[in-house]
Amino acid sequence: MRSSEGIPGGAARPTRRARRRIPDWLYGLGTVAALLALWEFASVQGWLGTHQLPPPSKLAGTFQQLLERGFPRGLTADVHIWATLWRIIRGYALATTLALPLGILIGASPLLDRATAPVITFARSVATISLLPLAVAWFGVGEETRIFLITYACFWIILTSVVDAVKGVPAVYIRAAETLGASRRQIFFQVMLPASLPRIFAGMRVALGVAFLVIVAVEMIGTVTGLGALIMEARTFYRSDIAVVGMIFIAIIGFAIAKVLDIAERLLLPWASSLDEVQR
Amino acid sequence: MKTVDAKIIVDRVTKQFDAGDPERDLALKDVSLAIADRQFVSIVGRSGCGKTTLLNMIAGLLHPSQGEIRVNGVPVTAPGPERGMVFQQSALFPWMTAIDNIEFGPKNQGVDKVTRRQQAQDLIELVRLRGFEHKYPRELSGGMQQRVAIARALANDPDILLMDEPFGALDELTRSEMQQELLRIWQARQKTVVFVTHSISEALFLSDRVIVLSPHPGRLRADIAVPLPRPRKRTDPAFMALYEEIHSAIF
Amino acid sequence: MNAQRWQHGLWVSWLGVIVVLIVWQAVNSFEIVNPRIFPGPVSVLETALTRFPLETLLGHISASLMRVAAGFALGAGLGITLGILAGWYRIFGKMLWGPIEILRPIPPLAWIPIALIWFGLGESSKIFIIFLGAFFPIITNTYKGMATIDPMLIRAAQTMGVRGLKMLAQIAIPAALPDIAIGIRVGWSLSFGSLVAAEILAAQEGLGYMIMYARELGEINVIVYGIILIGVLNLATDFLIYEFLFKRRLRWHFGQR
Repeated sequence: MRSSEGIPGGAARPTRRARRRIPDWLYGLGTVAALLALWEFASVQGWLGTHQLPPPSKLAGTFQQLLERGFPRGLTADVHIWATLWRIIRGYALATTLALPLGILIGASPLLDRATAPVITFARSVATISLLPLAVAWFGVGEETRIFLITYACFWIILTSVVDAVKGVPAVYIRAAETLGASRRQIFFQVMLPASLPRIFAGMRVALGVAFLVIVAVEMIGTVTGLGALIMEARTFYRSDIAVVGMIFIAIIGFAIAKVLDIAERLLLPWASSLDEVQR
Repeated sequence: MKTVDAKIIVDRVTKQFDAGDPERDLALKDVSLAIADRQFVSIVGRSGCGKTTLLNMIAGLLHPSQGEIRVNGVPVTAPGPERGMVFQQSALFPWMTAIDNIEFGPKNQGVDKVTRRQQAQDLIELVRLRGFEHKYPRELSGGMQQRVAIARALANDPDILLMDEPFGALDELTRSEMQQELLRIWQARQKTVVFVTHSISEALFLSDRVIVLSPHPGRLRADIAVPLPRPRKRTDPAFMALYEEIHSAIF
Repeated sequence: MNAQRWQHGLWVSWLGVIVVLIVWQAVNSFEIVNPRIFPGPVSVLETALTRFPLETLLGHISASLMRVAAGFALGAGLGITLGILAGWYRIFGKMLWGPIEILRPIPPLAWIPIALIWFGLGESSKIFIIFLGAFFPIITNTYKGMATIDPMLIRAAQTMGVRGLKMLAQIAIPAALPDIAIGIRVGWSLSFGSLVAAEILAAQEGLGYMIMYARELGEINVIVYGIILIGVLNLATDFLIYEFLFKRRLRWHFGQR
């Protein structure tokens, strides 16, 4: 799950001078607005069953209901959102604390890297959701199961990113540091780690996206709080409007998370793009 | 020149790699040379002649398969700040500003903050980058980056400066500007310089001596003295004669 | 000397695997964890070989693979087509970008309730989820591929008289292929993941179902077996994509120097 890329221009077509510069995002917004209007219209005309796809007008009401009364009764939107976020935070934090040091260790040691490579490759290919029945057998249907699954999914992604990042530090930086008289330890902390940061960060973004993906699935079993649970409950009660609003919430949260990471990256790693130029 | 005076002695060095490619594996065969203190020596030759390999061995980044390299009479076993190195891709640490890059060596040698900041500032002045010391590498042009790289290598006050085609990635105008800058810095700081380049013209412009290596395997082909006074003009007949001599040694 | 280095590399990897297996078996044999919920590799292997007649197993596997293939094909077909059009016709691209950006952050599985309402409990709803898994990464990467074509290539072709659809087919699309391939790889892995989840949540056949059913029967060995099988399939299919798509057909981009 990545944040929105800048709108690419068709470099392929010869550019024609636009008479008025319409900002790109306006196109997107306009299309969405047009689709919403069409949707509403189709619903009013009876072409779309209000159960199949409730119109935006109805959804607005549902939105409000969810914020005030909640669904099921008493569980308002913020409760669900927080439940989901809190699970992600815990699983993600656990995965990071485990994967970062381990990844650095493995990345810095060719022996460890070769020894662990097949195991890591396999463990990473295991579909996290397929672990659900096993996790339930181990931890029951409580929070631990959900946290475990998030942690599992994120752990392998972060681990491989960190290993690749450390391995991928351009050799010339190490050589330069050596000729400047830095010790092994100094090189490790002052050169290898900073040089790996951009790639590590990229991996952590991917991991967060995956965490989000997994949590929604995982919440569909064994709990009533959380965005995944919300839409599952909605289905049980044939409230398709709540299911759709739930999905909208999910979209918003997902989008927000990606944006936050963008900003964090720009703040923490302002120098990042230059790393690519040295990669040869 | 008596070998006992020599700053750098390359003593019958052979370098064998084993990447499975017999043509390229024997990088250097039985190369010997002596470089005096404060001499500016260039090494030229075609691709594959081993000039970068030789430089890396003097730096201590690689070890000879046979033979030995001695600096100040002591065999070279590892890289160190007394043999500063400048790379073609500048290799400036992108997460540090220019001045932080320059301070990197002294900082790790334990020099205190005030002293090293002052020294770094002096070097910034020397390479004529005042005002740019707090910029990140990506904010600097290629020529500026190489100036910082030179300053960074000089920060440890090495006796020897090893330069691996440092101006190879620059455009011709910047390149010729940098050549003059390098001469100025060298004359100000009096270091022994070993300079690897593809450009015969550059080698002649800068050095006291030009060493020619021939490839497959790398061997010493010629050792040509350049007694011309500096600054040199490329149109000078003596210059052009030496150019021809080196050119025919290579090809 | 060369052979020695090769061996040094490979046997270390095998050693790693063997160590893991030994530790795994030890945890089980010494009952560090309750063996009823933590079977050892030996018993899982035994189950693997004896529990299911080959045809049942193949039945599950093919059911799963067919679903993914169908969903993926739809996702890739639509994703690549729309991605190319969006990248080539700028206006269309900018218009499409809005709805895509809004729908993209929604995980495929979040669509399950709606999918069930729209398509019922049959195959279509699962294929729809899988389709979603493939569609978004593929269209995003295709679009990116089309948009980041080196303008120099276009200009070079123009000077040779190439125009219009010929430009699109002979220059633009090949230039975008590496990114499209990346999209395919990501899309496949996402599809696969969605498949398993979809089967676990609502299916009568297939590998996910096999695991869920085993859970109901309390057959922990089968669960572990199923998990490993899915992992192996995932790895195998990804390997195939990588080998044939990236290393062979697209060797001109991804190949070793």
